[in-house]
Amino acid sequence: MTYPVWHYDGVTAVRQMADLVIEGDRFRLSDGADSHALADLEPRDTVGGDVVYGLRRRPGWRIGFAGGVPDELARLLPRQYRYGRIIDRYGLWPSLAVFALLAAVAVVVFLRTPALVARAVPPSVERQLGDLMVGDLGGRTCNGGDGPAALAALVQRIDADDAAIDVRVVNLPVVNAVTLPGGRIVIFDGLLRAAKSPDELAGVLGHEIGHVKNRDVMESLLRQMGLSVLLGGLDGNVGGYTHALLASSYSRSAESRADDFAIGMLRAATVSPLPTAGFFRRLGGKEGKDGVAQALSYLASHPVSSGRAKAFAESAKGTYRPALTPEQWRALRGICPSDKDVEKPEFRF
Amino acid sequence: MNKQPDNSGAFAFHGDWRQFAPIAFTNLLLTIVTLGLYSFWARTRVRRYLWSETRFIDDRLEWTGTGLELFIGYLLAFVLFVIPFGVLNLVLQGVLLRGHPGAALAIFITVYLLLMYLVGIAIFRALRYRLSRTFWHGIRGGSDDQGLAYGWQYLWRTIAGTLALGLLIPWSMTSLWNERWNKMSFGPLRFEAAATAGSLTLRFLLFYLVPILILVLGVVMGVMFGATGFRGGAGLPPPGGMIAFLFVFVLLFYGVLGVIALFFYSAYFREVIGTLRLGGLEFEFTARTMDWVKFVLGTVALVVFTFGIGYIFVAYRNWAFFIRHLKAYGSVDLLDLTQSTTREPGQGEGLLDAFDIGAF
Repeated sequence: MTYPVWHYDGVTAVRQMADLVIEGDRFRLSDGADSHALADLEPRDTVGGDVVYGLRRRPGWRIGFAGGVPDELARLLPRQYRYGRIIDRYGLWPSLAVFALLAAVAVVVFLRTPALVARAVPPSVERQLGDLMVGDLGGRTCNGGDGPAALAALVQRIDADDAAIDVRVVNLPVVNAVTLPGGRIVIFDGLLRAAKSPDELAGVLGHEIGHVKNRDVMESLLRQMGLSVLLGGLDGNVGGYTHALLASSYSRSAESRADDFAIGMLRAATVSPLPTAGFFRRLGGKEGKDGVAQALSYLASHPVSSGRAKAFAESAKGTYRPALTPEQWRALRGICPSDKDVEKPEFRF
Repeated sequence: MNKQPDNSGAFAFHGDWRQFAPIAFTNLLLTIVTLGLYSFWARTRVRRYLWSETRFIDDRLEWTGTGLELFIGYLLAFVLFVIPFGVLNLVLQGVLLRGHPGAALAIFITVYLLLMYLVGIAIFRALRYRLSRTFWHGIRGGSDDQGLAYGWQYLWRTIAGTLALGLLIPWSMTSLWNERWNKMSFGPLRFEAAATAGSLTLRFLLFYLVPILILVLGVVMGVMFGATGFRGGAGLPPPGGMIAFLFVFVLLFYGVLGVIALFFYSAYFREVIGTLRLGGLEFEFTARTMDWVKFVLGTVALVVFTFGIGYIFVAYRNWAFFIRHLKAYGSVDLLDLTQSTTREPGQGEGLLDAFDIGAF
């Protein structure tokens, strides 16, 4: 059988007219002697009604059937591509269903993986990562007077004998405390100013220790890295929004777990949870006159809901002792002002 | 065997948005259910349609790139670029927190320069990739250059153009255009680009001065507005009026600036494409500022009034606009037009994807 085709040889640009001669599972063109396997033909895009084929390993080689391929020949030739090889084989709708299922599984696995992986990362590795990211915070940590001893006493009181926890005070006027990778907790001087009693500080500290114990920092780090990898393939904007949304919804649940942890620690240490509840109420704006703007930093990273203060308040029962003696509390509050060597708070985050 | 463009123009786009719609919607659907993975294949399908509906003289263009090579290009760029820069970012943060701002600044500048160098290479290689996958009469384009030299050219010309108070930006744009297109070819024919910045300078100066003028005008009007408020005895201008004034001012600022940017870009594309040659062919880009304004407003309307769904038609619109205004004159001798001997790049425009920059 012969069929008329137009032809580019991929070497020159001149279009030739020829006949396609079928010989079993091979073919040749009437203007040449070369014979090729029909299986080596590759479907190309249909152009203006002409069905076009290329040839494997011959870039630019084309034959075109003006007005389409006769049915009896079409059966011998490879099928046209549409969506891609795999999708064409199974059809669009079955492929869509399978992909959607796989995507759902992938999302679920992906959302659960950071928590599992974070707990599998050895604390020593996390500590090294922390060193890489933040180091020893340079000369900004405060060590004035009896402050360090008072701080150590507070940590000892609520979390006895845990070598993995390293609490520092940094000379910045920010009402906040953060947990960094490797069990490092940083209390900002602004928080010491804003706290009315050592018990309030103990609650906040307990919360941060909860983050360390739950490996929340590592989990959040892995999640953020994973999200940027996964969403990198999508359009930049969509990725950014989704990213923020997922990251924040995660940190809420981690926050309430850290709160539960802090409540347990306060109870074990017989420190009253009521001052901490009061502290959250103050930040929440119920007594908004003192330093609402200052408190914004803590609110931004630790969303304060009325439920949080309530959880602390409701856990109160029995008798309590103050977390620190008045002398220790005075020394702790003076840890930065009495430190002559500390860098002045000119640094901005 | 001389082929000459007839009166209807050398380039014509025969696409129909009703034919394109099934491609666009299935692409969107597949991209969603594959969590974005299909986007490389989606882009390939779009290009295959757009190219195959574009006629040059007597035959259609053909796009032969594949989704797989775009995907591999993206993975490569990710491993070679995104991961190292992510790690470097962590280190930078560490250095800064340890209290060595000098060292951090040095690292930052080095990284920034390296980044610009890579952006240059990415632009060059994306152009090379696109030409190498574009066939006409069974013949493709390409370049023998790897684009490493272009990376340096891009780096220093961009810096030099910006340093002179930004006044040399038209020069850096046109000279870089020449730099990359002069290294490109189609079949055995080299592109020759001879764009100059001279005709663009005036328009660029306008772009440069108008924001300052508007700002001065705004301050003067704001002061007058405030003054009348005082005279009225209210003490403060009514806040509603003030907000409305600011709103109109901002809208005016960006509107005017946008139009002037298009005023500059329309001249830029007329210059760079108008001075491009390929063998016996000369090109022309006919879009004037008004065409660009209508085009941009149309695209904005398309996206806004469809609540974003119209975005999937933007590539189609861009291509149709580009081809509608692209003209060619002269002739091609098909007997001389033989297959390109340039090396075919193995993967797609991954690096450019990583930087999220579009088009050429």
